[in-house]
Amino acid sequence: MSAPARLRIVGGAVHDPANGIDGEVRDICIESGRIVSALPDGAPTLDARGMVVMPGGVDIHSHLASSSCNHARRLAPEERAADPVPAPALLDRTAPARSGTGGTVPSTFTTGYRYAGLGYTTAFDAAVAPLMARHSHAELDDTPCVDGGIFLLMGNDEYLLRQIEAGEHARARDYAAWLLGAAGGYAIKIVNPGGVEAWKTGQRNVTGLDDAIGGRKVTPRAVLEVLADAGNALRLPHPVHIHCNNLGLPGNAATTLASMEALQGRRAHFTHLQFHCYGGEPGKGWSSASAKVIEYVYTHPEVSTDVGQVMFGPAMTITADAPVEYLLYQSSGRRWTNIDIELETGCGIVPLAFKEKAAVAALQWAIGLELFLLSEDPWRVVLSTDHPNGGSFLSYPALIQLLMDRSVRDERLKQVNPRLLAGSALADGLSREYTLNEIAIVTRAGPARLLGLRDKGHLGPGADADITIYNRDPDIATMFSTPRYVIKDGTVIVEEGQLRRAPAGRRLRVAPGYDDAIVPDLRRYFEAYSSVSFGNYPVAGLPGEPVAP
Amino acid sequence: MSGSSVVERVTCLGCGCTCDDVAVEVRDGRIVGVTPPCPVGRAWFGDGSIPEHVLVSGSAAPIEAAITEAARLLVESAGELLVYLGPDVSAQAQRAAVALADRLRAAVDSATSEPAAAGLLAAQRRGRAAATLGEIRNRADVLMFWGVDPTQRYPRYLSRYALEPAGTHVPAGRAGRRVISVSIGTDRGPTGADVALEVAPEDELAALSVMRATALGHRLGELPERLGAVPDTALQLTTARYAVLVHEAELSAVPRSPHRTEGLIALTQALNGVTRAALSSLRAGGNRSGAESVLTWQTGFPMSVDFSGGFPRYSPGSRGLERLRGGGFAAVLIVGSAAELAGELEARRAPVHAVVIGPRASEAPLTARVAIDTGVAGIHEGGTAYRMDEVPLPLRPPLPGARSTAETLGALLLEVRARLAERSG
Ligand code: SF4
Ligand SMILES: [Zn+2]
Repeated sequence: MSAPARLRIVGGAVHDPANGIDGEVRDICIESGRIVSALPDGAPTLDARGMVVMPGGVDIHSHLASSSCNHARRLAPEERAADPVPAPALLDRTAPARSGTGGTVPSTFTTGYRYAGLGYTTAFDAAVAPLMARHSHAELDDTPCVDGGIFLLMGNDEYLLRQIEAGEHARARDYAAWLLGAAGGYAIKIVNPGGVEAWKTGQRNVTGLDDAIGGRKVTPRAVLEVLADAGNALRLPHPVHIHCNNLGLPGNAATTLASMEALQGRRAHFTHLQFHCYGGEPGKGWSSASAKVIEYVYTHPEVSTDVGQVMFGPAMTITADAPVEYLLYQSSGRRWTNIDIELETGCGIVPLAFKEKAAVAALQWAIGLELFLLSEDPWRVVLSTDHPNGGSFLSYPALIQLLMDRSVRDERLKQVNPRLLAGSALADGLSREYTLNEIAIVTRAGPARLLGLRDKGHLGPGADADITIYNRDPDIATMFSTPRYVIKDGTVIVEEGQLRRAPAGRRLRVAPGYDDAIVPDLRRYFEAYSSVSFGNYPVAGLPGEPVAP
Repeated sequence: MSGSSVVERVTCLGCGCTCDDVAVEVRDGRIVGVTPPCPVGRAWFGDGSIPEHVLVSGSAAPIEAAITEAARLLVESAGELLVYLGPDVSAQAQRAAVALADRLRAAVDSATSEPAAAGLLAAQRRGRAAATLGEIRNRADVLMFWGVDPTQRYPRYLSRYALEPAGTHVPAGRAGRRVISVSIGTDRGPTGADVALEVAPEDELAALSVMRATALGHRLGELPERLGAVPDTALQLTTARYAVLVHEAELSAVPRSPHRTEGLIALTQALNGVTRAALSSLRAGGNRSGAESVLTWQTGFPMSVDFSGGFPRYSPGSRGLERLRGGGFAAVLIVGSAAELAGELEARRAPVHAVVIGPRASEAPLTARVAIDTGVAGIHEGGTAYRMDEVPLPLRPPLPGARSTAETLGALLLEVRARLAERSG
């Protein structure tokens, strides 16, 4: 009963924007887990006539496998109790079909199954403390169907701050390289540069790029510059992935633009941009600043972004931006978890719901849609909800519908609180509707390209055979929530809309080179300040090989 | 071959400190030295000798036969089975055990003690403010020990993490920290503190409320004289740069208020309005936090999970061992040491079939249908274990080579799957 090593997908309308194919009917050939240009006659076929064929989805920014996610699961057992998930009926009896629970942060097996059920075959956890990387890898081992990787939090790292303060930029780069290899990371992540360290010192937060961090001669600006340079000099497949200062505060668009300007000319990815696009002023109200920010993005090809759309409904805020979570705790009065993580970062969690009738939530929802609809380059403005911060990844089909179907969007707009929407481009009427090709760009081709995944996000010869096949449906949300077939590495894992196989995913990680001279210094530093022995810190026995630079 | 060798950077699971800097000296297959010489750690390592039997109904049997018999019994008992996770197994073994429980629609529970469980539930109601142990070392300038002196049960907590070592923000070590020792009746705080506070057990919750009110800046009314010193103590916390509250999360000799942990969580959260604060919960040895972590990522719940409906159901109000004691379950699969279960099984009248896979299974204080001796995680077996602050650490067994718990469970899982597949057609 093993899947055929060869398969010809026949007669589907193919959307493969990376290869310039926009809905052409053509066959896709698979051999040994990869796309090939042709197959001998008589190879097994899969009839996709009348259907839409795309590469498997790629989630560039999610929170799915981390100690923070596990704290969030534990914090809200009622969510999981309300969403029990029996084991799927897999065809291959020796494969371990596992039950689980859902809610905003599903258990690991359920996370893998649900991603696959949406036609997503690759996902990255965007915020892992290197100290807890061992935990993330164990969760990824238990997250089937998707290839996965982790971004390592470095924007508040004690050793890095010390190197920056001492002007030792080469050593900072060597450290980033060592850390990526030791923890099995894929990219450098910065969360609220300096702000988390400020939170831990009692300074509570930084307010802008030029604040001193915790009384040191280091600024958020310097952290951004040094780490962006490190990512580029190490030729990492994905550049530094930035969550800016002042997330969620009115007026923060100025900080966002200043951060982009600070890195002008350097490749950098700015994540969940929606949360960083607010006009107005603290205490004096909010407005949308999406037009200004998206204009900057468009005119600066070195910048890429994902949107971080807010979807109405339950959410779970999980972030290393611990000072923000404290503010959410104060304003929501809900449960709050805070974990300070030695020498590296923090972690904050507050359960939340985005409600149509809440003015700020409505504005956030509108700003996200504006970023999508005003974007002139979908390759650099890709889809995310910052799962589960802005909403679950399960809401991607509803989001795609909002982008593709103006009538649905306008109906929805009538139901939301209009108080803060004056001057919003969305409220003034945006007629744009995304095409299937543009959806293929923002959900697979674009993220794969931004992540430097050469074999993903497209269907050209040599690509991984990760493929999603949809039935056409006038209801776009239905179409995207129930793919007819999903193929992972050449194996059909979803058949007729049912998950039938659940292979283990691959691990995506890098191991850049560094100057060994750093090791004795690092060892001394660990001996002086870490609670973990230097030799026990690196994660051993990771599956697969690191991605080549 | 009588020369000795030293294995460095061994992770000790003698208590929840999970020190990963232990040097273990081995000679002729026995442990002969442990450095630094922590008494609890020394006792935990022992000389490293363990039995290596495989028993079916009390008689020696080949491992294949034991796995087959165990699988037969477990499949027969599916739906009426308890899987119990003992403390001395790796996260890898715990993952395999939960997979078995899922497949067999069993209930699964862990060695999470009653007070620790109450703490988990309190954190589910409120959340919590915590920190890794290294963060305490690097930042804590005020430490308040709430009815606990870690010295006996957590011998290196003070010297390695909380009190003595210098840290990034506490370069002077002990001299840079203020210690508040709170004694609650017979639950004594540490000696040698900068501030000592006596609280009668019946006043404990009131004292915590007063401290919390002080932290929140609420006006206090007239306080009874017994609580007179409490607001001043609270001021020591609010004026700290980084306050750490330390409490015992495990069973102690004298029963204590079930609301203590929740009160401490609420106080720590409130302190974060005016300064920074974290709660440090002392957990016993073995890989207890690991069981909670694994259960949470695989099922969504940290303990007491029941798969009998075909999916994980959370039943914190009826723990596995309690149900076992009360006559529930036709069979039990014990993963890890069975020592803690002796009393439970004695209290139970109806017979229960048992499969024991773990260290000293053959010496378990019960008649097991199948007993398979395996190694102790951290001494004979590698893998991962979680520290009391949920930091995962690698295990470097100084005496590798015993039968592996994780691999034995893996073999059992394959056999169980094959049998279930046969059954369903
Ligand atoms: S303090 Fe605990 S973990 Fe550390 S060596 Fe002693 S017994 Fe082992
Ligand atoms: Zn995020």
